[in-house]
Amino acid sequence: MVPKRLTRKGLISGAAPLLVAGPLAKLALADNAAEHDHLQLASHEGHAAQGHAAMIGEQAPAVGGPGDLDALLFPPEPLPYRPGRVREYSLTAIDREIEIAPGVFFPAWTYNGTVPGPVIRATEGDVLRVHLSNGGSHPHTIHFHGIHPANMDGVFEIVQPGGEFTYEFEARPAGLQLYHCHATPLKKHIHKGLYGAFIIDPKVPRPPAQELVLVMNGYDTDGDGSNNFYTVNGRSFYYAKYPITVKRSRLVRLYLANLTEFDLINSLHLHGSFFRHQPTGTGEHWEYTDTVVQCQGQRGVIEIEFADTGHFMFHAHQSEFAELGWMGFFNVTD
Amino acid sequence: MVAGADTAPGGARWRLWALGPLLLLIAVVAAFSAWGDSVTDLLGRNPPPADQVDVRRIEFKPGEIRIKVTNPQRDDLTVASVTVDDAIVPFTLDGPATLGRLRSSTIVVPYDWVEDEPIAVGVTSSTGIETIEQIPAAVETPGPSIGRAAGYAAIGFLVGVVPIALGLLWLPSLRRAAPRWLAAFMALTAGLLTFLAVEALSEALQLQAALPTGLGGAGIVLLGVATSWLTLTAVSHTLSRRGARSGGGGALGGLALATLVAIGIGLHNFGEGLAIGTSFALSELALGSFLIIGFMIHNITEGLGIAAPIADGAKTSVVRLATLTLVAGGPAILGAWLGGFITSDVLAVVFFAAAAGAAFEVVTEVVRYVARKAPGGITSPHVLGGFLAGIAVMYITGLIAA
Repeated sequence: MVPKRLTRKGLISGAAPLLVAGPLAKLALADNAAEHDHLQLASHEGHAAQGHAAMIGEQAPAVGGPGDLDALLFPPEPLPYRPGRVREYSLTAIDREIEIAPGVFFPAWTYNGTVPGPVIRATEGDVLRVHLSNGGSHPHTIHFHGIHPANMDGVFEIVQPGGEFTYEFEARPAGLQLYHCHATPLKKHIHKGLYGAFIIDPKVPRPPAQELVLVMNGYDTDGDGSNNFYTVNGRSFYYAKYPITVKRSRLVRLYLANLTEFDLINSLHLHGSFFRHQPTGTGEHWEYTDTVVQCQGQRGVIEIEFADTGHFMFHAHQSEFAELGWMGFFNVTD
Repeated sequence: MVAGADTAPGGARWRLWALGPLLLLIAVVAAFSAWGDSVTDLLGRNPPPADQVDVRRIEFKPGEIRIKVTNPQRDDLTVASVTVDDAIVPFTLDGPATLGRLRSSTIVVPYDWVEDEPIAVGVTSSTGIETIEQIPAAVETPGPSIGRAAGYAAIGFLVGVVPIALGLLWLPSLRRAAPRWLAAFMALTAGLLTFLAVEALSEALQLQAALPTGLGGAGIVLLGVATSWLTLTAVSHTLSRRGARSGGGGALGGLALATLVAIGIGLHNFGEGLAIGTSFALSELALGSFLIIGFMIHNITEGLGIAAPIADGAKTSVVRLATLTLVAGGPAILGAWLGGFITSDVLAVVFFAAAAGAAFEVVTEVVRYVARKAPGGITSPHVLGGFLAGIAVMYITGLIAA
C-alpha cells in the first residue's frame, strides 16, 4: 500500500462559498475608480468564482496599471508617402527580468526593455535606418521580414555583446511585417523576447482609423519546451484588467502578429462582431470572419466597426491559451 | 573526601576544557557564514534553487480544491500562480505566499471540479517554475465523523484482531504436535517476523525517500529501528530475569516470548493500519472486500506465530490469549484512526521503522529459543524448512492483499 500526504482535514463543505466570497469581495472593494463599477458587476453576474477566463476589471490577475502598455498598443502615427525619406530607430538589446503575471518573473532578452519590442513604422519607399546596440550578455541580431539586401538580413551580421550594427534598407512591401533576433539557438533567442511588430504603410494611405497593435506571445517559464503563460503585448490577462476602449461605428484597425514559440499556431477570436482580415496586410484579399489563425511568424491587418456598445471579449480560440492569459476585452463606447 | 577527586585531579578544569572545541566550532562557523561566500565563489556560481513546491495533500470539497504545499528547499519560495488543468485560476492562501524552509500553506481554489475525472493541479513559483500534481480521479475528501471512526475501527478489527484470534485457535493442535514439528512452527514464526521486518523496513525507507529533503534521510529510519530494537531488548531482559527468579532457568520462552512476538507483530499492524487509513482517507485505495480478505489471510499466520511459543508450556488462560490478541491486533485499529484522521508522513516513517526494529529483535529471541529447544538443533530440516515456509507463506498471502 502506498500511504502518502498529510493534512488536517475537516473543512465543513458549507463554508466553501464563504471562502470564495471573501477574497472576491475584497478584490472588488480594492477598486475605487467609479468607471470600473460596472465591470465588477458584470463579473459577479458571471462565473467569477470558476476561473479567470470570465473575469474582467480588477479581478483579472494582470501586472501593472492602466496605460502601461500604451507604447506597444498604439503604433506611431503613419506618415504620408515621400520616397527617400529616412526613418531612424534605435534598438538596444537588454537582459531584463520582467513581470509577466502577478508575482511571476521571467528573465527576458528584450529590445529596449519590453517584450514585445517597440513598434517600428515606416511608409513604403522610406529609407529605414535601425541602429542595434547589444547591451545584453549574448550575441544578437535583428532580422526583418520584407524585401531587403542579403547583407541587411540579420542572419550573418552577428552583433556581439557591446557591439553595434546599423541596418539600412528601403521599406517594402507595404503590410504588417515583423522583426526578431536571428542569432542561434533561434528558438531561445525569439522565445526570450527579442521580437516586435514592423508596420509598412502603403503609398496610398489606409483609411483613418483607431489603430492598435496586438502581438501574441507565450512564455515558457520552467524551460520544459511548452508555454506556461500566453499574452498579447507581453502581460497575461492585461486587457482583461484594462479593456481597450474603442468607439462604436468608427473604424478600428488591428495589426495582429503571432510570435508565440513552441505552439505551432495561435489565434484571435472576437466576440459579438465580425471583421475584415487582410493576411500579412498585403494584397486585395480580405476575409470576413470573427476568427483568425496564424502560424508562428504569421500576421495580418484586421478592420472592425463595432455595431454595439459594451464589453466584447477577444481571446485565442485555443481555450488553453485563453485560460493561461491570452484574453482581453474591447470596451465599445459611444 | 570526595571519591572522584582522587581519580581525576583538577576534574572541573578539564571538564571546562571540553567546552573548548565547541566554542571554537561556533567561532569558525560564525566566521564562515560571514565570509564563506568568497570560499564558495572560488568553486563557481551556485545554481538557482529548484523552486518546486512539495504538494503535500490535495482535498476536494464541493466547489473548492484545497492544496497543501510545503517549501522543501533552503531558499524561500513564493507561490505566484495556480493552475487547474492548465488554466490559471484565482486562489487564496491560508498562510504566507512566500514560504521559508519547510513552511507550509494551504492554497484554496474555488473550482467546479468534475467527480471521478482526472485533474491536474499546478503551482507556479515567482520564478515561473511549475509543479504539477496529477490526480487520477477527483473524489470528494470526506470530513471526520463518528461513522467513519467506526468504519476505520471495523477495518482495523477485521485485518488485525480477527485473523490473529483465528490463528491462535491452532494452539490446541500445536500442543499435541511432536517437538520437532513445534520447532518447525517456531522457525516459521521467525520466518514470518523476518518477512514483516524487511517489509516494514522497505516501507519506511520508501516513505522516507518521499519526505521533503529537510526531513528525510535514512537516519530517521535507523533511529526508529534502533530505538525499538533496544527497547525490546531491555523488555526481553527484564522478562527473562523475572523468569529466572521464578525458576524458568533464565531463558526467555513460553508466554514471555509470545508477548514479545505479539508486541513485534502489534507494531507492524499499527503501521499497516496507518497505511490503510491514510490511503483510504486520500481515496488512493479502493478498499474493497477483496483487499480486506487478502489482509485477513495474510495476517492469520501472525496468530500462529504467537501461538507457537506457548504451545510447549503450561496451559494459558483465555484472558491472556485475548490480551495477546489485542496487543498484536489492536494497534491496527489505532493505526487506521491515526492514518484516517491525522496522517503524517513523518509519523508513518517512524512507525514502520519501529516495527522493523521490533520484528528483527523478536526474530533473534525466537531463533535463540529455537536453537535451545529444537531437537536436532538450529540446522535441522524442520527448522530450516519452517523458517523458509514462514517467509514463503507471508509472501504468497501478501500477493492477495497487494
